Amino acid sequence: MNVHSRRKFLSACLGVLGAVTAGVAAYPVFEYLSPRTSDREKGQVTIPRAQVGVGQAHFFQFHGHPAVVLQRAPGVFVALSAICTHLGCIIRWLPEKGEFLCPCHAGRYASDGKVLGGPPPKPLQTIPVALSGDNLLVG
Amino acid sequence: MGLGNKITDYLDARLGVRDILEQNLTRYLLPRNINAWYTLGAVLLTLFAVQFATGILLLVYYHPITDEAFQSVQRIMNDVPFGWLIRTVHAVGANVIVMALLLHMLSVLFMGSYKSPRELTWLAGFLLLLLSLGMCLTGYLLPWSQLSFWATTVATSSSRELPLIGDFVVRFLRGGAMVGQPTLGRFFALHVMGFPLLLGLLVLFHLFCVRRVGISRPPFGPDWRPMEPLAAFRHEEHPGGIPFFPHYVTKDAAIIAFFLALELWVVFFAPGLFFPPAAFEPADPFVTPAGIKPEWYFLWAYQTLKIFPSEFLGLAVQGTAVTLLLLLPFLDRSPERRPARRPLFVTAYILGIALFVAISVWGHFS
Amino acid sequence: MKTYCLRTAPRFLFISVLLALLLVLAAGAGAVSPEGETVCIQCHGAQTGRLGAPVAAWRKSIHAANGISCHDCHGGDPTDMAMAMNPARGFLGAPKEGSIPGFCGRCHVGVKEDYLASAHGRALGRGGPHCVTCHGNHAVQKAAPDLINRKDCTRCHDYGRAEEIKSAVLDTDRNIAELTQSLTALHRTGIVTKDMDDELFALRNRFHRLFHNVDVERVRNQTAGFQGDLLKIRGRLAVIDAELKRRKLWGGVVVALLLIGGVVALLLHKSYKKEK
Repeated sequence: MNVHSRRKFLSACLGVLGAVTAGVAAYPVFEYLSPRTSDREKGQVTIPRAQVGVGQAHFFQFHGHPAVVLQRAPGVFVALSAICTHLGCIIRWLPEKGEFLCPCHAGRYASDGKVLGGPPPKPLQTIPVALSGDNLLVG
Repeated sequence: MGLGNKITDYLDARLGVRDILEQNLTRYLLPRNINAWYTLGAVLLTLFAVQFATGILLLVYYHPITDEAFQSVQRIMNDVPFGWLIRTVHAVGANVIVMALLLHMLSVLFMGSYKSPRELTWLAGFLLLLLSLGMCLTGYLLPWSQLSFWATTVATSSSRELPLIGDFVVRFLRGGAMVGQPTLGRFFALHVMGFPLLLGLLVLFHLFCVRRVGISRPPFGPDWRPMEPLAAFRHEEHPGGIPFFPHYVTKDAAIIAFFLALELWVVFFAPGLFFPPAAFEPADPFVTPAGIKPEWYFLWAYQTLKIFPSEFLGLAVQGTAVTLLLLLPFLDRSPERRPARRPLFVTAYILGIALFVAISVWGHFS
Repeated sequence: MKTYCLRTAPRFLFISVLLALLLVLAAGAGAVSPEGETVCIQCHGAQTGRLGAPVAAWRKSIHAANGISCHDCHGGDPTDMAMAMNPARGFLGAPKEGSIPGFCGRCHVGVKEDYLASAHGRALGRGGPHCVTCHGNHAVQKAAPDLINRKDCTRCHDYGRAEEIKSAVLDTDRNIAELTQSLTALHRTGIVTKDMDDELFALRNRFHRLFHNVDVERVRNQTAGFQGDLLKIRGRLAVIDAELKRRKLWGGVVVALLLIGGVVALLLHKSYKKEK
């Protein structure tokens, strides 16, 4: 093998080894920086029934996002995502009006999540909720 | 390589990069008898880059608050994917850097490369050594373990014996009477931004000096002669020498690869080497563990202070030694660089290494 | 002299530095730092004979190693020389034989219960053994199966049942010791072992309680339960060990890649060197 072809071969080897090593080094860095879903972001959330009065809304974290549970009528509970479907602001509950209001662009939602007025394109996302003894099981 | 050429053409038309590339790569000639010790600079650049990268990654998850610091490091080691790898590389890397710095300095001393016209290169380099040790000292506190807390307490206490200003210096370093949140705050600021900024600037200056003055010719071989000090600036040329690229770059790459292999070997197969047990207990300001010692590269200072009956004398001796080394090019002005013809220097050199090793070993066992 | 310097000088430097490094990498031991001493130790430590002997004995004990000092058992004030042995400050003095189980049992509650319910406990005050008989009073060591041995147990009766109990628990005790060592080694690499440490510590205490009822059948039955619990901890350790092995494997791959890369770079360098 003459010097030139040897150099080319060795350079190619070095290139491949370098690329492989770079890849092997990049993978841990990528994993290190990737956000993990913690256990708090999975599974059901339990809320004591007493925290949600009739006509009252209780805001809490569900799977990493703000959510709200509401007692529309005695014993009738609904759980919704608290994220406005327009541009992502967090909605507020107006008990005297019995509806949700988004403070950003005045979007309005009914107590079951349907759009009453304003820019929101879709109703609020519902989350399954069940009553179990003295607790509400959300999710 | 068509694409590479196209890009180079584009940049060359606008910035004249071809000229710069040639001057610093293919037409940058090095002395024929250059040896492997000259690669240590590139090795250090790489090691510092690794520290910088792992340091930034650690910053993502580390909390610089006394109540949270230890736990945040525990989380990095146990919960964050590959956190153990990033942290261990960073901790082991610090030790490998100090080793490489000492080797680099030893070869420069042996070959007399600190002499005229390279005095400024030496000054910058020595300050870089001191800054790096400062990085090691400040970084050590951040995990807030028993080892961190008490090693920092001992290290900051040593200044107490400075005449007149001793107590003030200790308080200033600690940000208070004892090591605590103020200490963590200022050490964190220094470690993450203060020292790295100075380090970066000094490295740039150091590299500029190296490149501007020209690589020194190793003082070995039958036809080497001492150079008289220059009256006016002249870049040291090596006509007929070997091109930096690709000849010496490949050697740089090889030694860098071996150093990284050594570092990663320690990371994967001897990770406890630089972690005594006290490193895994959270700091307790009321309980001093037995046998707290500084890291190996500070044992000489630790033991020197213990030897002298007066701590001030111990500090003075250390300060004198460091100052003498710093000002070496101004004290040793003879142009002779061949070790065989500098018997006084070489003797002092060997005695110095022996003393450093002996005092460090003594410090380890005492 | 000139030719000496030609090629060997850089290598001389390399070898001398390498030797220096090897010297520095020698292993060593640590130093011991002095501890603050209570007034009890200050006074009794300076005495000879009966009143001074407990101090030297205590220093070698597991109590001393865990920061448990005179006043923790005997009461009194460890900071005030004048009031140190005053009952008003809780000083209890040395317990009489009948009070010994209660004395040690203030901390070792479970052991006291098992002991008092056992044949040994029922024989207290009538020639039966108490805590100090087997464990000593000041030079107390970490409990180990060898406390059950022919010489000591045959002082009062034959060795038969004691031997059976000992063999029933020896295996488990060794398991516990091994697991403790493994957990310590893991902790030294930065892995959080607190949960398993706590579990193992509780298990060891429950296990050592077991000896004190000197009931062979009960010891045998419960040992099986302990073995099961230990197996669970071992299982978790095995998972961690497997992960550590995987890390070492990948580490080996990366180190090998770098070494090969270095060698290839050197070969490349040599191929350039050929053309002078």
